[in-house]
Amino acid sequence: MASVNVESEVTGKVWKIEANVGDNVSEGDVLMILESMKMEIPVESPVSGIVRELLVRKDDSIDEDQVIAVIEP
Amino acid sequence: MSWATEVEELRRRRKLAKQQGGKDGVAKQHARGRLTIRERIDTLLDPGSFQEQGLATAVPDYDDEDKFLGFVPANYVLGFGRIDNRRVVVGGEDFTLKGGSPNSAGLRKSIYAEHLAVQYKIPLVRMLEGGGGSVRSGGKRRGGGGGGGESVFGEPRFKIISDALGEVPVVSMAGGAVAGFPAGRMAASHFSVMTKYTAQILIGGPKLVERALGVSLTKDELGGAHIQTKSGLVDNVADDEVAALAQCRRFLSYLPSSVYERTPRIESNDDPGRMEEALLSIIPRNSNEGFDARQMVAMIMDKDSFFELGADYGSSQIVGLARLAGQPVGVLANDCRVYAGAMTAEAAQKYRRFVEMCDTFHVPVVNFIDQPGFMIGPEAERKGTIRYGMAAVAAASQATIPWASIQIHKGFGVATAAHYAPNAYVLAWPSVETGALPLEGGVAVAYHREIESADDPIAKRAEIEERLRDARSPFPRAESFSVHELIDPRETRPVLCNWIEWIQPQLDTLTGPVRFGMRP
Repeated sequence: MASVNVESEVTGKVWKIEANVGDNVSEGDVLMILESMKMEIPVESPVSGIVRELLVRKDDSIDEDQVIAVIEP
Repeated sequence: MSWATEVEELRRRRKLAKQQGGKDGVAKQHARGRLTIRERIDTLLDPGSFQEQGLATAVPDYDDEDKFLGFVPANYVLGFGRIDNRRVVVGGEDFTLKGGSPNSAGLRKSIYAEHLAVQYKIPLVRMLEGGGGSVRSGGKRRGGGGGGGESVFGEPRFKIISDALGEVPVVSMAGGAVAGFPAGRMAASHFSVMTKYTAQILIGGPKLVERALGVSLTKDELGGAHIQTKSGLVDNVADDEVAALAQCRRFLSYLPSSVYERTPRIESNDDPGRMEEALLSIIPRNSNEGFDARQMVAMIMDKDSFFELGADYGSSQIVGLARLAGQPVGVLANDCRVYAGAMTAEAAQKYRRFVEMCDTFHVPVVNFIDQPGFMIGPEAERKGTIRYGMAAVAAASQATIPWASIQIHKGFGVATAAHYAPNAYVLAWPSVETGALPLEGGVAVAYHREIESADDPIAKRAEIEERLRDARSPFPRAESFSVHELIDPRETRPVLCNWIEWIQPQLDTLTGPVRFGMRP
């Protein structure tokens, strides 16, 4: 099955990373928490699978629609 | 002598028209995974309710001695029908004939669809597929004055499209590629929906784009669902045409047939006194944490009645239709998980259109306010956010409908003014924070000297924020009568259902066109 790109819905900063590469995650699990407009915005895994890539680090600035993680279902 | 010969010819022509583009044309349409226009009409309408208009409309073909050779049916099918036993006008291009690009007879019928809906004061459902004009059609028309264009004294063709938006519900469904004029019709709708895999909406198709800009893109790359739901051109997306047409039916169920009727209230079997325990803790005490605003809306409205519009566009603002005690209402709610619910340029445009639509059809509004202000930052300035924001403020402040605002979380800055119509019924939850600026940021501006002169400016700022946060209380707003009621969040449904009963006499009097109808 093809990998699934996880995109940021907002422009902001990476506040906390909750998942590690290689983790088994379920749909809805929080991968990381972004900060935008003083709000903490959890990024949930859209599918169950293995975290193949985390493309950002803590405190990185990110843009709307930027791919921030890759999950292999 | 009877007229049997002519009547026989009429029967033959009607039969031919129903054959559309012939077996091959229909098979091609099915091979593309799409329904024909007649199948779309049958899917949309109550069974057996379609009454066609202009079945024999066609482009005839004559030889040099004026002998009739045959004809091509108008490639636009039009008529009356019923949805949930309510009358509507339906129309759409027949893609099995000339790729849906209008022949002269088809164009005439497509324009007339709008007139018919306005004249009979019933909703219009357009099922769009096809292109606009072609260079081949210019200058070849017979009998119209040499093909130099429409007569100077004729009514502009597009006027009726704008007029319809202020008179009757207009719904558009794209079931295939829609380009040019029909793409404009998608935009000029109260509700639009496209299929996820088989539809594209384009101002100009790939060949035009390549010729003009030297960029080679597919129809899907230019105007597929993933583009047009985010651009805001189309409200919703559906997996297939059957699901898309079901959304059209659902949308219409909330609206009156025209501005001259009142919204259709139905019997609700959901208890108006229902109180959801989860509402007591849905707003986190830490104001930097978000919550699920859609879940909140679902708990308060009649069960399963919320129909969201345009979720993928201007996503910090949620808009949709729902029912409260069976009464259709427009629902507004900020989504604090997207830019804290800030009013972006896109959210403001979505908000303005939706409020104008509710006002046009006299649909009361229920607004859950969690507004941190206009979106800020370089991108927001480049987009002219505050202009669109002020258009949203203008739409709300001139709205004539019954309006309930519930202050649930944040209410900061000028953007908050967009959330109140005149004479709004104003409720507040204990979790509300309001002011000119949020504490964070606001403290940095108002106390900058004190902060800068401190030994530890960061600690000083945190200390001032904490002091002001502790001093906050929801009670002064109730004491000063700046809200009608401060309520337990669990009481929200019963209180709003009660309000629905209060506004019934007002809704009876609210009919007819408003001063500002909805514009695309």
